[in-house]
Amino acid sequence: MFELLAIHPAVAELGQFLILGLVLGSLYALIAIGYTMVYGIIELINFAHGDLFMLGSFLALGVAIGLGVLTADAEVAWVILTIVLMLILTPLFCACLNVTVDRIIYRPLRKSPKLTVIVSAIGVSFIFMNIGLFWRGATPVKFPDLIADTNLIEGTGFRFTWKDAMVVGITVPAMIALTVLVKFTTLGKAMRATAQNPLAAQLMGINVNRVISATFAIGGALAGIASVVYGLYIKSVDYQMGFQNGLYAFTAAVLGGVGNIPGAVLGGLVIGVVGELGKAYLGAKWSEALIFGILIIILLFRPTGLLGARTREKV
Amino acid sequence: MSAASPLLVVENLEAGYGPINVLHRLSLTVHVGEIVTIIGANGAGKTTTLNTICGLVKARTGRIVFNGHDLTQLPPHNIVRLGLAQSPEGRKIFPRLTVRENLEMGAYTRTDPEGVAADIQKWYKMFPILEKRKSQLGGLLSGGEQQMLAIARALMARPKLLLLDEPSLGLAPQVVVQIFAVIQELNRQGVSVLLVEQNARMALKIAHRGYVLETGRITGTDRADLLLHDPRIRQAYLGE
Ligand SMILES: Nc1ncnc2c1ncn2[C@@H]1O[C@H](COP(=O)(O)OP(=O)(O)O)[C@@H](O)[C@H]1O
Ligand SMILES: [Mg+2]
Repeated sequence: MFELLAIHPAVAELGQFLILGLVLGSLYALIAIGYTMVYGIIELINFAHGDLFMLGSFLALGVAIGLGVLTADAEVAWVILTIVLMLILTPLFCACLNVTVDRIIYRPLRKSPKLTVIVSAIGVSFIFMNIGLFWRGATPVKFPDLIADTNLIEGTGFRFTWKDAMVVGITVPAMIALTVLVKFTTLGKAMRATAQNPLAAQLMGINVNRVISATFAIGGALAGIASVVYGLYIKSVDYQMGFQNGLYAFTAAVLGGVGNIPGAVLGGLVIGVVGELGKAYLGAKWSEALIFGILIIILLFRPTGLLGARTREKV
Repeated sequence: MSAASPLLVVENLEAGYGPINVLHRLSLTVHVGEIVTIIGANGAGKTTTLNTICGLVKARTGRIVFNGHDLTQLPPHNIVRLGLAQSPEGRKIFPRLTVRENLEMGAYTRTDPEGVAADIQKWYKMFPILEKRKSQLGGLLSGGEQQMLAIARALMARPKLLLLDEPSLGLAPQVVVQIFAVIQELNRQGVSVLLVEQNARMALKIAHRGYVLETGRITGTDRADLLLHDPRIRQAYLGE
């Protein structure tokens, strides 16, 4: 069947870049959700979010080192245990860290001018980066290559490996869980209500500070999950990785419509795909120009982003 | 009426924003079963009064006692639990929650899902337009519909006392009549009401008692029917 429809090499190549773009895009999406949720609820661009992601990947690396599982040759059961532990401990760590930073730094500044809070977020970003620098040094560190690169769709002309499957198998359920939480649970409705009108939310009996903490916890946990996936996929981590990935994720949030969760996911996928296609066909140095060029064009025509709020509040 | 027990007692309340005091030794009482109105010009401090009672604005001195509980130091989310709900000025509907979700948020403090579902049906009966629009986003309702939603949402907390801030603001006259009929009907069903209005005529018509608020001070209080015929009130607030 497939042999009959022989795929032109150029098409196969394009398919490859698309898959890679979608994989990276879903990572950007997970990080972007953390930006967009926090922005939605307290209008803070949390510049430290990308660096939280970096610290998460360092912790995940620590789990692998601690268990001594550093290559794919390790016993399968140990590899699975390692990955599962990473997926439990890292999100937990990132959630706690994110909540703590909000509690001791952002919350006391809640009534201060926006700029004050943003500057302190930039400060937190540097502190995180320095912690990362102390923790694992200035040079990139190898992250254990625990998942095989066996092609799962051999014979189709495309490649989709166990690694790709891992990314999809972790990011998609995480996004579905988040969607269910935000759409259907009481906490999720309280988060949306607080984002839309914090004053009215308080009148409903919502403890706004607790909802904000929950938002930082969820955003942090998603960044933690993304950091595990990133480490396993890219196989190298360094203390500056939060900056570029954070910037892409933040751009994804803006592109999708900041404050809008499906928008962040869409924005992440668009940036992942555009970035990879740009790299492939225009060269690495044009990829970023392409991403930000598209961002600017979209914002010119849709200032609220692709899925930004269109309903107006009637006063 | 004065034989009834006090539900809300505010004594010598001072509150404001930044360095400015807006309320000056303000005292008022709402008894069980009453509709009490505060009338006053724009900027007199009516909204500040309600928001201080709800805990959104901190009391600087004085006391607020509701149903035996001292509210003065409580955060807003704990005050709702005691049975005090507000339909705020400008309605403050959650624009991107559906009508039904808005009502569910009103019941946020409750832990009886069956009771909440039954209450939603109850208020749908009283406000049929809300049932018709139950799956629409709150932000897409007309002003009058939003006002009904704001009242129904406050009622979802099953409050003993309902605070209403300018429920007639920006609404067409027929809608205003409808809203005030609803307030009276709710009061007949046992809800006590503290009603803030610039539309003093309508408010005094349905209230039992009224307070006159001028630049943060209570300058008069009486039975509502007497205030309605007080020449000074008629001149200052009823446009005569
Ligand atoms: N958030 C606020 N910050 C500063 N001043 C305020 C604020 N809200 C109201 N004020 C001031 O407090 C006074 C009373 O306002 P308000 O309580 O809204 O009056 P009313 O509801 O009777 O129109 C006004 O002088 C107003 O300018
Ligand atoms: Mg007012």
